[in-house]
Parts: sequence; structure tokens; C-alpha cells
Amino acid sequence: MTNRNEFKPLESITLRDMLPVVFAGEAIPASQVWQSDVTFRRGESVLVEAASGAGKSSMCAYIFGARTDYSGQLLFNGRDVSALLPDDWQLARRVNIAYLPQELSLFPELTAWENIQLKNCLAGNLEDSRIEDWMERLGILFRRDYPAGRMSIGQQQRLAIIRALCQPFDFIMLDEPVSHLDETNNRIAAAIITEEARRRGAGIISTSVGNHLLLDYDKLLRL
Amino acid sequence: MKIIDRLLRRNTSAARVAGFVISNFIGLAIVLGGLQFYLDARSIWQQKDSFISTDYLVINKKVTSGNTISGADAGFTDAELSDLKRQPWVRGVGSFLSNDFKAYMSVDGGSHSLSTQMFFEAIPDDYVDVKGGEWHWEPGMNEVPIIINKDYLALYNFGFASSAGLPQMSEGIMSGIPMRLVLRSDDGRRVMEVKGHVAGFSNRLNTILVPRGFLEEANSRLGRGLPRLPKRVIVDVSRPGDVAIAKYLDEHDWEVAGDKSASQASFLLRVVTAIVMGIGCVITLLSFFVLLLSVSLIMEKNRDKLHSLLMLGYDLGTVASPYRRLVIGASASAGLLALASMFLLRACYLGAVTGLGAQPASVWLTVVVAVALTAAIIMLNVLSVNRRVRSAWRR
Repeated sequence: MTNRNEFKPLESITLRDMLPVVFAGEAIPASQVWQSDVTFRRGESVLVEAASGAGKSSMCAYIFGARTDYSGQLLFNGRDVSALLPDDWQLARRVNIAYLPQELSLFPELTAWENIQLKNCLAGNLEDSRIEDWMERLGILFRRDYPAGRMSIGQQQRLAIIRALCQPFDFIMLDEPVSHLDETNNRIAAAIITEEARRRGAGIISTSVGNHLLLDYDKLLRL
Repeated sequence: MKIIDRLLRRNTSAARVAGFVISNFIGLAIVLGGLQFYLDARSIWQQKDSFISTDYLVINKKVTSGNTISGADAGFTDAELSDLKRQPWVRGVGSFLSNDFKAYMSVDGGSHSLSTQMFFEAIPDDYVDVKGGEWHWEPGMNEVPIIINKDYLALYNFGFASSAGLPQMSEGIMSGIPMRLVLRSDDGRRVMEVKGHVAGFSNRLNTILVPRGFLEEANSRLGRGLPRLPKRVIVDVSRPGDVAIAKYLDEHDWEVAGDKSASQASFLLRVVTAIVMGIGCVITLLSFFVLLLSVSLIMEKNRDKLHSLLMLGYDLGTVASPYRRLVIGASASAGLLALASMFLLRACYLGAVTGLGAQPASVWLTVVVAVALTAAIIMLNVLSVNRRVRSAWRR
């Protein structure tokens, strides 16, 4: 697949003077992200901590190109992304940035396995055994052929984590990935994510309101 | 079925899609059937007449008892002609010229010789459409082409020939017979003699027609030289069968020579076809909106899924494709069904219509119209699908 805006690889994501439009004119608490100059680098793991309503999910949606209701600039490899076309974004979503949205965005009528294959067939092409191994480690392999909508929220969260890994990426962005997990599963998820990120030389951006993914972060930002 | 198809076809209502296919099929079938019937049937009224177009009307003043008693000619005055020329449905007017001398025609047929008094008329050459050099006369030529009305041949064959013990003649034989024309001035002092032959038979020119150049020269050599008003005029009309024509003629107490029911029937056919096709178009248009709305409804209901798939990195085209295929499949099958039923309908009426003397028309125009309408429906719906996918891209 060739594309004029392909990032091979995506080395850095910069938020310059960025502020959600809804915050404009409001007195916001001191933030290390909004209205400053932050750069996420490939290979680096960052935890973005915030209180609820500080704009974590907005930040993720901006970086993922799903929303543009902000002022300021978003730069990929130092280039403004406002010129990217929908097809450029779709390519970036397949090869540059993996994203676990807070709402998970699973398809409830599909089985766990189908949910994963929907992504894996598109971009990952990982072997079944490897995916099954992750499911095993996270304790959801017995739910392989079970409709995702009937799984518990914690199981769904583990399923969504695995799905996010089924693609090449330079950054993996996890929006409150362990909000419904116990500490054991949190550690297992953290281990798998770290392995995969290390294998790909990728950066990790994880957000949290309290219960955060248990990693050795290189950097901690307060939103 | 692929997972993505299974996801996105959710909320597809088979009843709504079937509703579209049926209504689109009915609408298109009416449009195509009406069009094809019009094409096939109109030749009934477009009698083949190679000499004069159906757009021409021959008009004369009604002959009344007054004319007979007073002996006055019912000719068109200059004022009347210029008023006629000003009518919006008139493209051109040509006057008939008649002979101003006595004419005799004789045929030497061995034992059967035939001789009769004759008359001639001429109209401007623009109105006579004879292919090739047949209809040509120039000063010095000793042979004159003649066009006669087909009915004259019928009168001869079925009226005269059988009673007079003469052989019946086909058009071909009649054309091959050499005729001798003797033209004599009123006082009998000046005489012209030329050969003549029948160059063709006309359904619609109710006269014996010779080239205008010939008649003008003969009139100048043999005529009395008195100014005469044209008794008949030929009018090139833009809309044959228009009611305005009949109204105008009625007002002036003029009449159209020959069979005018053909142009009225052909006008009626056109009106009826337009109404039928109009109804078909309305149904087609409504069915188009049915499809547009049902696809929009499905996509609206599946909007979250569309968005989630786009968030996974699926291309906009891939996400749109189940809906595009739905639109193309439904429209194409309705179009094919409509075409098939058009052919079926045609098979039913063709026998009857050709029995009335119609020449079956080609079906290509109808096929092209079917393809064009179906393509338009598909294109507009695909555009709407693409627009909805783009709108789901950004939540």
C-alpha cells in the first residue's frame, strides 16, 4: 500500500499549544498537556494521568484523527496533520497507531474471536496460536466463540486489549485500559503490551484516572 | 459471508428492499413499455411517402355552392397567405401552381390505346423529396417526370380497367409506360408536345405533379398570362396534429387535403405515450426515493458500527461496499426485470401492431434508456452512500 502521507515509521507525536474548544475561555487547572508543547516519542512509555473530565479521551481522539475540535496544532514527525486526508488517517490507523478506546468499541453480536479477526485480517495477520496464547494468559480463551456482548466488562476489556495488539504500530494508545481489571490481569496485560511494544520499538501512551496500567513508565504527565 | 458484510447488513429490511425492487420494476417497465410501444406503433401513421414529409399539410379553401354558381375561384389572397405564414406552427408555405392551358395525355399500347384530358400542378421543389436525379427538369428536356396519387392507380386498376377490359397494372409497370403529353393553348394555336413518365406514387399528394420549372415554362408559352390566385398551398408545419392548426383552419373555413386523421392519431399517440411515460417516470422517481431512504435508514442505524470499523482502520470504500452492492444489486435486478417485461409486452402486442401496418422499430433506444435510468439511480444512491460513510468517519 503506497500513500503520500505514509509515516515509516511515525517517530513522534507533538501536541503544540493544543486545547479542546470546549475549554476555551475557561479557567483550567495547570496541565502538562493542554496549551503547552508535548512530544510523545517512539519507544517511550508515557502515563497521562487526569481527573475525570480533564479531556483524556478527547486527547486520544485528537491524536487518532477521530475529532478535530481543538485549537493549536497536532504534529506527526513534526508535520501538521491538518493536511491529512481520510485515507491517510485510515492507513495511519492500520500501520502507525494502535488504539484502545475507553468505550472499547467491540461488536457485541460478534464472537470474541470474530472481533479480533476483524482487526487481525485487516492489518495484523498474526498467527492464531499467538492470539490464543494471549487469550489464554488473560483468561478469556474459554470465551473464544462467545458473543462479545455477553462477556463481562472485564473480559471485554481484555479482549479489546488483544485486538489493539493485532496490527503493526509505532504507538499504542490505551485509554483507561485496566479500569475494570484486577491487579493480576492488569500485570499480565502490562506484560503483554510491554513485550509487543518492545518487539516493535513502539511507544506507549496510557491514560488513567487512578487505576493505571502497571508499567515502568519513562514519563508521567498530568493532564 | 464476510464478517464485515454480516455486521453492516444488520438492520437491512428485506421488505423495504423488495418494495424498492418492485416499485422500481413497475415504474421502469411502464416507461420502457410505453416508449417501445410508441416507437413500434408510430410507423402506422407515418405512412411511407418518399415524396412528401408528414410535416407537410396541403390546404385548400372549401368549395361552396356559391363558387359553383358564381364561377369564382376559391384562391388564396396575398393577405391570407402572409397571415398564414405568421402562424407559430408554420415553418414555410408553398403555393400550388396549376396549368393555364389544355393538356392531353395518351398512351400507345398497341391494341389498347388510351387518351385523356389532363391537368397538372406543381409545388416548389423544396417540398418534393425525390432521391437522385429523377425529379429533374430543365429547359430543352423533352421528357417530364410525373408524380401521381396512389389512389389514381387504384381507381384505374379496380374501377376503370376491369370495366373497360384493360389489364391491371402494378406501380412498376405503370412507371415504365411511356406517355405522350400534348399541351395546347386555349385558342388552340400554340402546341407543345413532350414525353412523360410516372416517377413515383404519393399517398399524400392528391394531384398530378410535374416539376415547377416545366409548368412555369409551359404556362408562359401556352397560357393566357392572367394573374391567378393559388387554389391550394402546401404548408410545412412544426407540430403536425397540433390543435391550433385545426382551430385556425376552422376559423378560416379551410380544409386539409387527404387523410388528416393520420396526423391527429399520431398526435394522440404522442400525448397518450407522454402521459403513460410520465406516470412511469413518477413511479420510478418515487422508487428511487424509497431506495435512497431505506439505505440511509440502514446506514443511520448502523452508524456506530460504521464509525467503529473506520476506527479500526478499514478504508471508506470497504465500509461502503456492502451498501454499494445492495444498491447495485437491487437496481440492476429491477432494471433487468423491467427490460424483460418490456420484451414480453412487446411480444404480446407486436403481432397486432404489425397487423395494422406498423414497421417494428429497433429496441436499442429502449435498452439504452433502461441502462441510463438504472445507472442514474445507482449513481445517485452510491453518492449518497459515500456521503454517509464520510459523515460517519468523524463522529
